[in-house]
Amino acid sequence: MTLTGRVARLVRLAAVLGLALGGLGLAGPAASASTGWGWLRLAHLSPNTPAVDVYLYSFGNPQAKIVLHHVGYGTVSAYEHVPAGEYTVAMRGAGAAAASKPVLSTTVDVVNGKAYTVAGVGPAAGLRLEVFTDRLKAPRHKALVRVIQASMHQDTVKISLGKTVLAGKLGFPAATSYTAVAPGTLTVRVTGPTQHTTAEVTLSADSIYTLVVLDDGNQIRVASLEDSAGSKVMPDGGAAMGFGGTAPRPGEPLLPWVAAACVGLIALAGGMTVLSRRRRPALHAR
Amino acid sequence: MRVVRRPVASAFLLLGLVAAGVGATGLALASQTGHQATPAGRPTLVPIPIGRLAPGPLPTVGARVAAPTRLVIPVIGVSTPLVRLGLTSSGALQPPASTSVAGWYTGSSRPGAIGPAVIGGHIDSYLGPGIFFRLRLLHQGDRVYIRRADGTIVVFRVTAVREYLKARFPTASVYGPVPDAQLRLITCGGTFDPAAGHYLSNVIVYAVLSH
Repeated sequence: MTLTGRVARLVRLAAVLGLALGGLGLAGPAASASTGWGWLRLAHLSPNTPAVDVYLYSFGNPQAKIVLHHVGYGTVSAYEHVPAGEYTVAMRGAGAAAASKPVLSTTVDVVNGKAYTVAGVGPAAGLRLEVFTDRLKAPRHKALVRVIQASMHQDTVKISLGKTVLAGKLGFPAATSYTAVAPGTLTVRVTGPTQHTTAEVTLSADSIYTLVVLDDGNQIRVASLEDSAGSKVMPDGGAAMGFGGTAPRPGEPLLPWVAAACVGLIALAGGMTVLSRRRRPALHAR
Repeated sequence: MRVVRRPVASAFLLLGLVAAGVGATGLALASQTGHQATPAGRPTLVPIPIGRLAPGPLPTVGARVAAPTRLVIPVIGVSTPLVRLGLTSSGALQPPASTSVAGWYTGSSRPGAIGPAVIGGHIDSYLGPGIFFRLRLLHQGDRVYIRRADGTIVVFRVTAVREYLKARFPTASVYGPVPDAQLRLITCGGTFDPAAGHYLSNVIVYAVLSH
């Protein structure tokens, strides 16, 4: 095999090796995908249902992941940060054995990056578990608000926030979708067939809220829940948090050194060629 | 002819040897200076703070928690009072005036309340390490402690450590809404641009409330 043939083979080998290494380098970061997490919170929004124990099971695991004891009407838990996957929410009478048959249960599929509210809703006779998907992103500089109607007393309400009507006629039990409103301190006004109530609520931009209309004895009241909160003002871009005292010195250009080495090698080769040519005739002469 | 060629050839050989040697040495040295400086030595020993654990965030609007006063990250030897950070005139996150303390961005949630609480600190000064010099060495699962004005302590668990080019800063995932109590720690990282006098990237630590 000629020299050029060998060189060509080496070049081909190097190219294949380089491609393979490049491929590995590209595959590396992509393989480390983020693990999936979501959020779940639990609520009791059935006015004439006594307090319950709420169990949260990760699918296929009989050991409860979370148990909330003695959850009364109007209670909403904080969000639990849970691995994405399928969960079962079960309700038992307060104090009932964990192994007893639940009064009712439902499954909820928690998707990566999504949040859910699982609430017992409706009258005791028609109690059911409803899964609400909660929004996590508000339009820039706006607040998002929705309403859950959980009052039996005033079974149809009109609810407004400042000058915005969130729902003209909202029956029990029901929920609206989210409405974008300008942030600020606003008055919530709830008007039912025989009663009305007002409440002040301060809403921040880039945050998300749920207003819940509840029975409170013979009255109605509004509970305002913070579903998600962001920064009041989003800073622009990155943050200047360093002066370079520990930064590596900028990489010096490599080209001059490479050039010097090449020139050296050429000179070496040249010198050797000249010397060997000079010696050859001398050997013949002897 | 011989008399002329011999010294010339020898000179070529000598010159070649010297040039090749200098080139190779220079190449070896130059290619080493481009590496990222890795924090050497052990971080200072910092004890885990002791105090009453703060309860989880309340879901109701207007639930106030006490303001943060101190940040402690034992695994990287950080224990610092927290100054208050606002925005610069251009609308960017204001860095702490001192490189040896961290600061809490007052426009973000208070640590332990719903939403992302944002804390920034310098990786270095002009001369040496800053308070967040070792921030990028944090790992998933590491604990971060915040002491608040009422003496309570909030514990966070690191979920991710990421580096982003400032030109592609993930504003929504750092400052945007989240439904639970979270924490973001921000410093600089990546390549330092000596001409502009700043780093090209930010290192961000994401953490969630630990139960």
